[in-house]
Amino acid sequence: MSAMDTVTPAVRPAKGGPPAPPAPAPVKRRRRADQRRSSVAAWAAVGVIGLFGLLPVYWMLVTALSPDDRAFRFPPDLFPRAVTLEHFRAFAENEALFRYMLNSVVVASITAVLSVVVSAYMGYSFSKFRYRGRTSLMNFVLASQMFPQALLLITLYAVFSEFGLLNTYAALILSFTTFTMPLCVWMLKGIFDTVPDALLEAAAIDGASRWRTLHTIVAPLAAPGMVAAGLFAFVRGWNDFIFALTLADRDTQTLPPGLVNTYIGEFQTSWPALMAASLIVSLPVVIAFTFLQRYLVGGLTAGAVKS
Amino acid sequence: MSRFRTRQGLAPGTARPGAGLRRRDTLRLLGLGAMGAAGAGALSACAPSGGSGGGGGDASASTFGFSSWSLNEEASKPVVEAIVADWESAEDVSIDAVSYPYNDYLTQLTLKLRGGQVTGAVQLDIAWLGALAPMGRLLDLSDAAARGGYTEAALTSGQYEGTQYGLPWTTASIGLIANSTLLDAAGITEQPTTIEQFEEALRALKDLEGITPYAAATKVAQLKDIFPWMRTFGSTLVEGDTVTIGDDASVEAVEWYKRLYDDGLIAADVDRFDARALFAQGRVGFYDDAVIGKGATIAQASDPALADAMVPVPRPVLASGDAPQALLWGHVIVVVDGEGSDAATEFALHTTSDTATVADYFERLALPPTTAEGLGDPAVAQDAFTTEWTERITATATPGPFWHLTQNAQIEEVVAQQVQAVLVGGSSARDAMNAAREEITGLMER
Amino acid sequence: MTPLIGAARPRRGERLSNTAFALLLTLPGMALFAAIVCYPLIASLVTGFFEQSLVLPGRSFVGLSNYREALQGDFWPVLRQTAVFTLGATAIPFVLGFALALALNSGIRGSGFLRGLFLFPWVIPGVVVSFLWMWIFNANYGVLNGVLTRLGLIEESVGWLGEPGTAMLAVIVTKSWASFPWIMVMMLAALQTVPRELHEAAAVDGSGAIRRFFTVTWPGVRGVAAIAILLEFIWNFQHFDTIYVLTGGGPAGSTETFAVAVYREAFHGFDLGRATALGGLWMVLLLGLVGLYLRMFERETDR
Repeated sequence: MSAMDTVTPAVRPAKGGPPAPPAPAPVKRRRRADQRRSSVAAWAAVGVIGLFGLLPVYWMLVTALSPDDRAFRFPPDLFPRAVTLEHFRAFAENEALFRYMLNSVVVASITAVLSVVVSAYMGYSFSKFRYRGRTSLMNFVLASQMFPQALLLITLYAVFSEFGLLNTYAALILSFTTFTMPLCVWMLKGIFDTVPDALLEAAAIDGASRWRTLHTIVAPLAAPGMVAAGLFAFVRGWNDFIFALTLADRDTQTLPPGLVNTYIGEFQTSWPALMAASLIVSLPVVIAFTFLQRYLVGGLTAGAVKS
Repeated sequence: MSRFRTRQGLAPGTARPGAGLRRRDTLRLLGLGAMGAAGAGALSACAPSGGSGGGGGDASASTFGFSSWSLNEEASKPVVEAIVADWESAEDVSIDAVSYPYNDYLTQLTLKLRGGQVTGAVQLDIAWLGALAPMGRLLDLSDAAARGGYTEAALTSGQYEGTQYGLPWTTASIGLIANSTLLDAAGITEQPTTIEQFEEALRALKDLEGITPYAAATKVAQLKDIFPWMRTFGSTLVEGDTVTIGDDASVEAVEWYKRLYDDGLIAADVDRFDARALFAQGRVGFYDDAVIGKGATIAQASDPALADAMVPVPRPVLASGDAPQALLWGHVIVVVDGEGSDAATEFALHTTSDTATVADYFERLALPPTTAEGLGDPAVAQDAFTTEWTERITATATPGPFWHLTQNAQIEEVVAQQVQAVLVGGSSARDAMNAAREEITGLMER
Repeated sequence: MTPLIGAARPRRGERLSNTAFALLLTLPGMALFAAIVCYPLIASLVTGFFEQSLVLPGRSFVGLSNYREALQGDFWPVLRQTAVFTLGATAIPFVLGFALALALNSGIRGSGFLRGLFLFPWVIPGVVVSFLWMWIFNANYGVLNGVLTRLGLIEESVGWLGEPGTAMLAVIVTKSWASFPWIMVMMLAALQTVPRELHEAAAVDGSGAIRRFFTVTWPGVRGVAAIAILLEFIWNFQHFDTIYVLTGGGPAGSTETFAVAVYREAFHGFDLGRATALGGLWMVLLLGLVGLYLRMFERETDR
């Protein structure tokens, strides 16, 4: 629940408000039974979905720990019998994979920052101004997602080539930023919607320019939401395969195509090595997200009131 | 800014919030083309005109690219990187290594060749030459080829419509590999040479517990493995511009395949990787693979004796005396016309024909050389499996029926999808093959 | 619902009108859209009226024939499969993600840790997810068959990806696995905006848990749910990786969606004209659907 604390007082639903008046005794008892039931239901849901969500991850781990000759056994060993760290070692020894990882982090991080900046301006415009064409622009942002991206890629490749951006981080970052923008704009617009207009009026009366109001008053209020939007954008840049494959070269390649090129070959699919590598590269992101998740949920909370 | 003002000016009525605005939304959503067109116009106005042509670069430059999927794959990476590095230091050239995953390689290469972004030497699967050569960016390498001492069969694999675009790097074939230990266990004393004997052998193998008698490809990716079987049954598949798939022989082949499938003699959802994995565990009697597959399979095997049990088997024939069918398989290196193409040609020639290099390449990756001298090198000549393979299987191997067409990949997919439809019971062999013929004919006419 | 006031009111002493200022704010984003989406989009749509190859130079105008051809052949089966995939891969993660969000929001212990753990499927690179499930579903040595055999639920291995009946299911399950954490996060955020007091008040009034869900929770999160579903729907319509890696559209074309079909036309058949015509049809279809959805949705929230 700490997530709630990251939301500014102005927009916080009154969670810390006065406690509810004491209920009459019978109702209280019924509520406690109710709560127990719902807690059981909650755990059941977590359990079932947890199996679905986490067993594959467990299986990744088992596979990664299996020697090559045991990985293809049938029926498979559900608990690893022979354990080896060779695949993790092999990952550590492959310098190219570090390069991919670094590229992924750079590309995804800059994508996140750029998306947030661009989307914040746009979201603010949609949220706090009324002008002709506003709805069209909003729909347009959404509509931009509706054409096959593989086909956009063909022309996009030529465009980046003309501007000399091919095989640069910029090509990847600009593409990912654009494709992640609809989500970010929507999230940030929602957050700006919750910033009271009175606050802006007050700033204006105090003589603050619109730019200053946006940057020094509104932006800090929306900061948690920006972090959240940035995390979503990060994942988009982190996960993409086809753009990263096409627009980058060996030096700027990110993890998804890099992993496939390394382990899914002409002659061989190295499942255990692929799983080991994937686990290693995902772990830092999972850890980072675990720490940042209070923003992920809390930051969005403000924006979630409206849509 | 002006663009937006224009758009605003076009918008009818006032921006009164309410029903009117919303009613227009759908229309506006659909009318976005107007705005997009403005954007496109603005962009294309300031963008230089498209498509930088090939052949414009300095052919004598000492910097060139080398595109190869092998440059990144775990197994081949060190070997190929060493070849590149050695050549760089020996010749004082600079090579830009480029790599894409094998499965996406042709797509990526096409896109980049089209954009004029590929220079220098390019590794290709011989099946892809027909897709790339018509783009008109590849160099005729006849002169270099004449200096290489390649075998005739190898040279053929680098030709497209009579022009030598590719220097052969490795030439072999895809054929059957058997597990002789399992065959013994099933009481099969002689290698089956006819389809009839082959099916009997499969049924005998089926009686062993937990065995897939023939790990034939049943996934789309490699279902093109059925082409040699269709040819075995007597179909030519294609004659000139006429597709003959759908004739009795091809239908018979598919019906036979379906029977094997229904009787559990071949398994569902198998591709080459699966077949190797299963074979490595001693659970497969026969499977289709290139000669190099042996190494990949043994790497996964827990029983070192498996290597000795692997034997090449010429594909059984319809009537004894027929030539066994096999699919030619290999890699070539082509050179893109333009920047550094001279140096790239020398690099390609060296890589594919220098005896020490190709012998080492064979020793470390089991990819057979393409020159008479390379094949004669003790490292190669003394490898019994490869020698036997070359003599018994590659000798009668033929190229894929549609390799010379740009649409090869799609055509193979069409056949694969139709065969799959038969296997899973979605349609009869006759209907499916007729449908395939119509679809392929349509594709060829485009 | 927001009153159209506040910053939108013109102010003395600033050079730009409010409208101009607002448009200026959208400019960086719009510039990106123009370059990365609009221009390629227009270029592509134009290609749809030409016979043009990816590998051969030149093109010739053929009018609507690409569209006509695209509408023949596999159009309708592909449309059906796209619908099945898109609906399935939107509904399942939504139900799972929402259920999980409800559970984690009910104040159970360790929910912070669990939330982190459940993010795993979401941050594993998408193609790796596909390969992971390919490995799990494998007919011959996959762990799913292994577990089911051990539990005695099946006698013979099932070729999950090799049978038309199960392949689509497998593809949907895989995609759902990768996206339910995203829905979970969105819905958790939405749930936290529902004031606890409303729940308590409803409980005092004697409403049961299910009733409270429909009278208190759902109205509070409906807006977020609607947009999450919309985005997920659009993305799934667009989705390519999972299907392509897992089944390649097979067996026998039973999992081929528009995304796969377009890719194949363009990159295997090298027929850009046909591919973009198909893409154009897809866009019209999607715009229509989304337009309808938006109208429905706006009418609802207006109440």
